[in-house]
Amino acid sequence: MQISYKPGNGLLYSLNPMIKGAIAFSAIVFFSLNTLGLVAMTAITAVMLLVSRLSGVELGDIFMSVRRILLLLAIVGLIQGFGAEGFSLVDACAAMIRILGVFLVAGVYVTVSSQSELTFFWEACFRPLGLIGFPAREFALVMVIAVRFFPVILGEIDRIRMAQVARGAKLDGGGLLASAAALMPLMIPTLTQAIIRAGELAIAMEARGYRVSAQRTRYQRFRFGIVDLFAILIPVMLLAYLLRPFFYTAG
Amino acid sequence: MLERLELKDLTVRYGRNILLKNLCGSFSRRQINLVVGRAGSGKSTLLRVLAGFHKEYEGSVLADGQVFEPSGNISLAFQNPEALFFNGTVAEEVGYALKMRKMSAREIEPIARQWLQKWGLDPDRCWLNHPLELSGGEKRRLALAACTVFLPPVVLLDEPLAGLDAQGQRDLISLLSGMATDHIVIVVTHEPELLLEQSGSLLYLHADGCKSLKPAEFLRLALADSSFFPLPEWYRYAVRHFAQSSDLPNLRADDVYRFVKTRERMHADQL
Amino acid sequence: MIVFDQVSFWYKDLTETSFRLKEVSFSLAKGCINGIIGGNGSGKSTVARLMTGLMPVNSGTVTVFGKDPYHQLLHSGFLAGIIFQNPENQIVGATVEEDLAFGLENLGLSHAEMHCRIIETAARFGLGSLLREPVANLSGGQKQLLCIASVMVMEPAWVIFDEPTSHLDPWSRIDFWKIIDEFVHHHDLGVVIVSQLAEDLARYERILGFSSGSLLFQGSREEFKQAGAEIHEHFNYPEEWKYEQLLAAEHA
Repeated sequence: MQISYKPGNGLLYSLNPMIKGAIAFSAIVFFSLNTLGLVAMTAITAVMLLVSRLSGVELGDIFMSVRRILLLLAIVGLIQGFGAEGFSLVDACAAMIRILGVFLVAGVYVTVSSQSELTFFWEACFRPLGLIGFPAREFALVMVIAVRFFPVILGEIDRIRMAQVARGAKLDGGGLLASAAALMPLMIPTLTQAIIRAGELAIAMEARGYRVSAQRTRYQRFRFGIVDLFAILIPVMLLAYLLRPFFYTAG
Repeated sequence: MLERLELKDLTVRYGRNILLKNLCGSFSRRQINLVVGRAGSGKSTLLRVLAGFHKEYEGSVLADGQVFEPSGNISLAFQNPEALFFNGTVAEEVGYALKMRKMSAREIEPIARQWLQKWGLDPDRCWLNHPLELSGGEKRRLALAACTVFLPPVVLLDEPLAGLDAQGQRDLISLLSGMATDHIVIVVTHEPELLLEQSGSLLYLHADGCKSLKPAEFLRLALADSSFFPLPEWYRYAVRHFAQSSDLPNLRADDVYRFVKTRERMHADQL
Repeated sequence: MIVFDQVSFWYKDLTETSFRLKEVSFSLAKGCINGIIGGNGSGKSTVARLMTGLMPVNSGTVTVFGKDPYHQLLHSGFLAGIIFQNPENQIVGATVEEDLAFGLENLGLSHAEMHCRIIETAARFGLGSLLREPVANLSGGQKQLLCIASVMVMEPAWVIFDEPTSHLDPWSRIDFWKIIDEFVHHHDLGVVIVSQLAEDLARYERILGFSSGSLLFQGSREEFKQAGAEIHEHFNYPEEWKYEQLLAAEHA
């Protein structure tokens, strides 16, 4: 099962995309720096999962995906567990919960955020760059299109691969150079098709009145609600906690 | 040379979904074998299984009674086969499959030239051209030549007539039926009426069950139920009195006219 | 009304052999199904693009409702929408709702207006329950519907379909023609269909036939039937009409 957006109406879903993004990113940083120790982190993880569940997130799919990183978890646990005083189960678990936490946060974030919310967040992050001429909105649109065409192009690569292999292409040649050459029958048609697609899409967008420089209005609207007001405390607190050494030195 | 490719109780699952269910049917040489079905009826799954890219299935695919080994024995031409071009010249494009079979350049050239000729392309004129410089119909024929030059026993074509104009379609139809002497030709199409005349069998794919039919049976079922396959209104109207007939005509005006006239005369004689 | 007056067009580098549209004049009116036919490289797709204002003409004038479509489109006006052959290559949004909104955002509409139009159009095309659905989850037929809906939501006076049926299975083709019939005969929408399929040709009420950049035929369906073999040989003449002729010959 793949982790992807599943529409819903729970608490986490209803947050403003800015807040969602801010929480997710501060939580990821928080987890990866983990300084609170095993018990506290396990508790925080549990609370996070509980809130997600209450928001209607299907945790099953996310747990299923954890299987894919089991090996990674085991290796990290082993490496981190062996310290100066031999193997420490607590250290191993603490290391594992760090990775697991990052993974779960990302999983829940992706599950409760639609493509347009993700785009909105990215766009907002890039907006400051607009001051120096960076086209934040166009960039966001490019990201949407890239995400949208990803499965289409994957399907196409699959078909081209089948047909070229049938003609006799050996797409898994030996060394690096040899395999680059062997990939030509796959790469060139894929690229050609992608260019044709891009051209057709550009014309279709133009025909629907799209102009890069033009002023466009915006359909998606994301409001700040009362909940957002409280939720904003989470990233603020997490960041404050993480930045605390700097305050000490400053004070 | 292969004579018959047989599907026996082919069932393909993907996760909890059943993509193909108990598919039975066969494809033979010397005729065009059609595959027809709605979008999402499992056509691409069938293609993947036959091509050997989907290996988890129940049932069997038999070639003249033996288990069919797709590798090296089947060629695939998907919709817009010209999308497969990646060489700089027509010569390299058509010779590629032979080159990958370890033939020397000297051996390849005469075979490639002869093959182009067979597909209605003049080798002297286009030998060193870039494949994409050819016209629409020529590109399609070059693509099919390049896919079949190594004489694969089975050739699978997905919508080979799409995007061609009337002349291009007529040319290609006669080439396709010519191909059937050397290969088992399987054509997946939304427009079976264009090839019904040349075809000997038709595999009808449907979520509720698949059927292997003779062209006339297909026409009879379609006449009885337009949701089975929507035949053009004029045809339905013309043959409405003879819907049970075992030798329904193809969807060509002359055939239908001759059929209706003969039937009417027989009917008059009986009276 | 769409009017072409002495229109010539060629792509950037004109050579002896390259394609050019040669002084084409015709006019199309609402209220019937207008069809453009012709083989590969006949100029039919070029004509469709000129109608929507995607390219400027080299000489002559194109007008839609008396206005120049190229000029209009450049200044974010909108006269004629166009729907291309492959639905996959013209859906911009990641979800149904976003794709419907894309053109409206370009028109600079207010949120309230967009919301209103999107809900209404989605309902009309049976996409109401799919608004939040990622485009990747739609079936082929649904994708085509979305393409049509996304242009219709912009409320064009004319819609041009460039080879709309070639990607559809025969069942979906029937559904497609139902929609077209509804548009033309019940919604006062101007419709032009570009297609070379014989079965589509049989449904046109007015026909423009192109061959290598020239307008070979214009007239009603009946006039086309009478046009004679030297015209018919350039096009996919429907079996349906051949059959009619055989029956007619018998009675004569």
